[in-house]
This record gives sequence, structure tokens and C-alpha cells, in this order.
Amino acid sequence: MNLSSQKSAIALSASAAALLMPVSAFAEDGAAGADILIPKMAEFIPALIAFLIIWIVLAKVALPGIMKTMEERGKKIEESLDEAEKTKQEAIAKRAESDSIVTDARRQAADIVLEARKDAESERARIIEAAHKEAEEIIAKAHTTVEDERKSIYAGAASSIADLSVAVATKIVGEALEDDAEQKKLIERYIQEAGSLNAD
Amino acid sequence: MEIFEKLPDEINHLVSEFSSTPVVGDLSCGITQYSFWLIVSTIVLLIVLTVFKKKQTLVPKGFFVNGFEYIIEYVENDIGKGVVGENWKKHFPFLCSLFLFILINNMIGLIPGMKPGTGAIGSTAALAIFAFVYFIYYGCKAHGVIGYIKSLAPQGVSFPMNVLVWVVELFSTFLRLITLAVRLFCNMFAGHVVMGSFAIMASMFMQPLLQQVSAAHAVGALPSLAWLAILILIYAIELVVGAIQAYVFTVLTAVYVSEAEEVAEEE
Repeated sequence: MNLSSQKSAIALSASAAALLMPVSAFAEDGAAGADILIPKMAEFIPALIAFLIIWIVLAKVALPGIMKTMEERGKKIEESLDEAEKTKQEAIAKRAESDSIVTDARRQAADIVLEARKDAESERARIIEAAHKEAEEIIAKAHTTVEDERKSIYAGAASSIADLSVAVATKIVGEALEDDAEQKKLIERYIQEAGSLNAD
Repeated sequence: MEIFEKLPDEINHLVSEFSSTPVVGDLSCGITQYSFWLIVSTIVLLIVLTVFKKKQTLVPKGFFVNGFEYIIEYVENDIGKGVVGENWKKHFPFLCSLFLFILINNMIGLIPGMKPGTGAIGSTAALAIFAFVYFIYYGCKAHGVIGYIKSLAPQGVSFPMNVLVWVVELFSTFLRLITLAVRLFCNMFAGHVVMGSFAIMASMFMQPLLQQVSAAHAVGALPSLAWLAILILIYAIELVVGAIQAYVFTVLTAVYVSEAEEVAEEE
């Protein structure tokens, strides 16, 4: 080995050593850092299999049932809402109908009450009129009866007074008046005149 | 402060704990801690689906049934009908599977002591490959293989430019595979690192007090309360992030699917 080659070997090794030391230190850190970003088969394969299992289970077993239930629920809710809306509309229509029936009934009831009141009023008037009439008839009849009674009592009283007067006169005069019958007639006429005066 | 000097080591230790470690076998053939929790999440999801299917009635009753139905309806209306459009029923099982699978993994990962199945790039890459193959398949099915490849270049672009645009579009299509995988992984990974960091800080400030109760240690432990409050806040944010990332992954897949099919409809 000649000198020049020896020199170059030393220079090379020295420079290699100089270069290598920081490089190796840097390479350790760099390798550790880069190592994190290199996928390991021990993690890659289990993840591949695990995800495949989840995908198959979800796609073939779990999701169809889950989605079916959720869709059924959605449909049911929609139907229920439609039904509720329909029922509400029906209820509104029925309410309007019942309202009109109630209004009609109230109107009819008012008419009936009015008519009944009118009938009662006319009946009352008729009864009162009949009562009045009857009362007037009774009063008139009573008047007639009283008049008749009065007349008969008066006639009786006049006859009694005439008899009494003749008797009294006979007693006073001390002898029987001539022609009794004639005297009696006179007295009665007097009484009648006096009665008619009294009556007026 | 002495505590802050220890912090970088603790964080490094934490991050190293987050890197994939085989529980069974090795990294190329076996199960890591992430795969373990991914399998647990899958079993939990299967149980949830079984219980839900049994409990689901025409009139939904209870928080569980209503809550799960809300999620399904959300995917149906927001992603299915909202993004895919009229063909939503065909793609709904796939999109729903993606959403539920990612969501359950993200949520299980938030339980202390557990890890998200989606916190490893291998898992998210598997999901991204499913999404990628799925939308390419439907693009080709609706449009023919050659037709779909051609359709990557938008119509109305003149000859020299359309080749360039086609190349860019082809590149961007393949990039979707990477972006889908990396986005989900990074969000889950970073979120858990941040939560872990605050948990470490809360416990580090508390440690002296636990070792020896004194007034000085009690004052020194006060920042723990602040770290704990921030931790709880980040926990709440992570809950939201878990749901949002499931949504983003699914929505993007839905967009890619509808885009692939839309191209076919135009022609």
C-alpha cells in the first residue's frame, strides 16, 4: 500500500467516522420517527379482518333489520299523522254539523216556547173572558133573583103593612071602617107610591 | 426546576410506550397492543349491535336505543343522503360500518388504560385501503376501467395540459390513500400523547407531596391542579376529536365515492 493510498484511506475513514456519528445518532431518531408511520402487518391484518367482519355483519345481518324497523316506523308515523289529520277534519265537520243541529234545536225550542207562550196567553185570555162572562151572568142572575126577592118581599110587606094599618086605624077609630077592602086598596096604593119614591 | 428537567425523559418514555409492541408473536405476524384493543372494540361493537337489534322496537325506548338510532340516522342523513345523494342506500352499509368502527375504536381508546385501535398506522391503513378499493371499484363499475382512468382528467382541458392534469389527478387519487390513513392515525396518536404528557405533569408535581406531606410540598403540588384541569379539558376535546375523525374519514370516503360515480353520470 503506497502512501497516497494510505492517506486516502485514512481520510476516507476519518470523514466516514465524522459523518457516521451524527448520522447514526440522527438515523436512530429518524428511524424511530419514521417507524411510527410504517404499517405493521400485526396491526394491518387484524384491522382488515375486523373491519371486514363488521362490514359483513352490518350489511347482511344488522342494517337490513334496523333500517326496516326505522322505515316501518317512519311509514307508521306518516300514516298516523294522516289518520289524525283525517280524524281531525272529520271531527271538525261533525262539530259543525252538531253545531248546526244544536242551533236548529235551540231555534225550534225557542219557537215552541214562543208558541206555547202564545197559546197559554190566548188560553188565559179565553179563560179570563169566560170567567168574566160567567161572573157577569152569575151577577146578573143574582141581581134578577135579588130583584124578584125584593119585589116579593116588598109585595108581602106592603100587604102586611096595609093589613096592619087597617087594623090600627080600626083600633083608633074604634069601629070598623066601612068598606075595608076599599081602605086597604088605598093604603096599598100609598105604600106603592112611597116605595117607588124610595126606589128612585 | 428539577421537575422540568425530568420532563423530556418522561415524555420520550411516554412516546416510546406508544410505539407498537407485540403482545402475541412479532410485528409482522402477531398482535400488538393496538390490535388487541382493536379486536376488543370490534367485539364490543358486535355486542352493541346484537343488543341494539334485540332491543329495537317500532316505538324506540330508552337512551341506548334512541342514542344508537340517532347515530345511524345521522350517518344516513348527513353522510348518506347529504354527501352521496340518490345512490346512498347502496353505499350506506359501508359508510355506516366505517363510521361505527372508527368511532368505537376512538372511544374505547379514551378509556384510561386502553388504547385506540385507530392509534396505529397499520389499522388506519387497512381502513384507508378498504375505502380506496371501494371507491375505485365503484368508479370502474359505473364507468368501466379505462373510462374511469380517463375520467381522472377533467373534461374541457386541451391536449397538452390534460395529460399533465391527469398525472396530477392520478397522483392525488393515490395520495388519498395515504392522507386518509395518516390523518386518522396522527389525530389519535397526537391526542393521546398530549393527554399522556399532561397526565405525567400532573403526577410529577404531585409526587413530592405523596412521598412526604409538608406545606412546601403542598404548595409545590398546586400546579398539578392546573395540569389536571387542562387534562380534563383535553379529554373532553379528545372525545369530540374522536367523533369528528370518524365523521371526517367517512365523509371523505363518501365524497370520493360520489365523485367516482358522478364522473360516470356526466358521460
